[in-house]
Amino acid sequence: MANVVVDIADLAVSADPAATLITYSLGSCIGVAVWDPVVRVGGMLHYMLPESQLSPEKARSSPAMFCDTGVPRLFRAAYELGAVKSRLVVKVAGGSQLLDDNGTFNIGKRNYLALRKIFWKNGVMIAAENVGGSISRTLKLDVGTGAVTIRSRNEEVPL
Amino acid sequence: MSTIQLDQIIERVGTLPHLPSTILHLVNVVSDPRARLEQIVEAIRYDQALTAEVLKLCNSAYFGLARRVESLDDAVCLLGTVRVFQLVMAAHARAMLSRPQEGYGLPAGALWAHSVGVAVAAQLLARRVRLPQFGSLFTAGLLHDTGKIVLNEFVGEQYAEIVRRVTEDGASFLDAEQQVLGYTHPEVGARLAASWSLPDSIVHCIRYHHDPGACPQAEPLVDVIHLADAVCILLGVGAGDDGLAYRAQGAVMKRYNLTEADLEVIGAEAIGELRSVQAMFTER
Repeated sequence: MANVVVDIADLAVSADPAATLITYSLGSCIGVAVWDPVVRVGGMLHYMLPESQLSPEKARSSPAMFCDTGVPRLFRAAYELGAVKSRLVVKVAGGSQLLDDNGTFNIGKRNYLALRKIFWKNGVMIAAENVGGSISRTLKLDVGTGAVTIRSRNEEVPL
Repeated sequence: MSTIQLDQIIERVGTLPHLPSTILHLVNVVSDPRARLEQIVEAIRYDQALTAEVLKLCNSAYFGLARRVESLDDAVCLLGTVRVFQLVMAAHARAMLSRPQEGYGLPAGALWAHSVGVAVAAQLLARRVRLPQFGSLFTAGLLHDTGKIVLNEFVGEQYAEIVRRVTEDGASFLDAEQQVLGYTHPEVGARLAASWSLPDSIVHCIRYHHDPGACPQAEPLVDVIHLADAVCILLGVGAGDDGLAYRAQGAVMKRYNLTEADLEVIGAEAIGELRSVQAMFTER
């Protein structure tokens, strides 16, 4: 089993049925896993922030850092391996929040809303999600079977 | 359930990782605003192992220097004294912080990554709010969570109860530590730092990094470490079982007229720098 680790502000795609895509420590960041059951192509993105306008320079050097530049890249990379948009199963995890009484630190929520917006505009449905709360999550996608799991505090659950 | 007292823990710190005397001396030198840059170089020069470490790091591919760095003077000349100091500190913090901290659900390297992330983010923040670049800031960032290493040795069976209170009762990790153990990782870390005779400015950063409002008087250094820590926790840099279960103080941001977008920019830059530092240490 080959583990492909997707770093923060990065993405990966694979058509190797023995591969597992994995990303660790999703806090307020969002992990997006996509999988095409026909060609068995999987992809994963770990983005940090909602909008690339914050730093166009960073967006050029590392487009996977932002939702609006990272998501299109993830989908395009999956298409290049033969995936088809209408078949993609999309699962989402992350978007956690600090315990903050006055809502000053709401990057997690904004990250999630940015994703909903871009998916809504492009007619992409989320098949399953595990978002919010104050936990750190690890997201895994088995490219051969499409099985997605979430691990947090030593508990692993299917998504 | 027997709870070990804070005093007992501090008595046992002899068995815990410590900072070598050269490093302690170095930290004291850079924390003194009157210190001259040459004193930093002098503090390193007489420690052969440290000097060797600096040269090795300077010659790593990360810096891509055109010629080989063969002496400490070369290193200082090419990279600057402050950068050389940071390299030394990051290397030593790595020796102390890299082991897995099972008690906190932290895999090997995670606490070090988090600590470097906070040190780097703190410096970026200090620049943003035009705080003079105190030498203690980087060190405070590196050491802010040392209490976790200490507690990791002693928490044992009570750890499950701490996590249960966080997960089921929605308590903050700090409140859960306080309720179950009677003390918290910032308290333990501050006691340890004081026992090393680190400057008060650093001890305060460690003690109040989750609650700058409790600091007897407002200290910009403490505020900056608090915000840098919040940014790294949010971004999941070296996150453990405690995850995001901490309170962040929005009032601190307002005090410096910082917006969330400012913190996002800091986070984006900090991630880039952290990666460079990690690459420098792993290629060897």
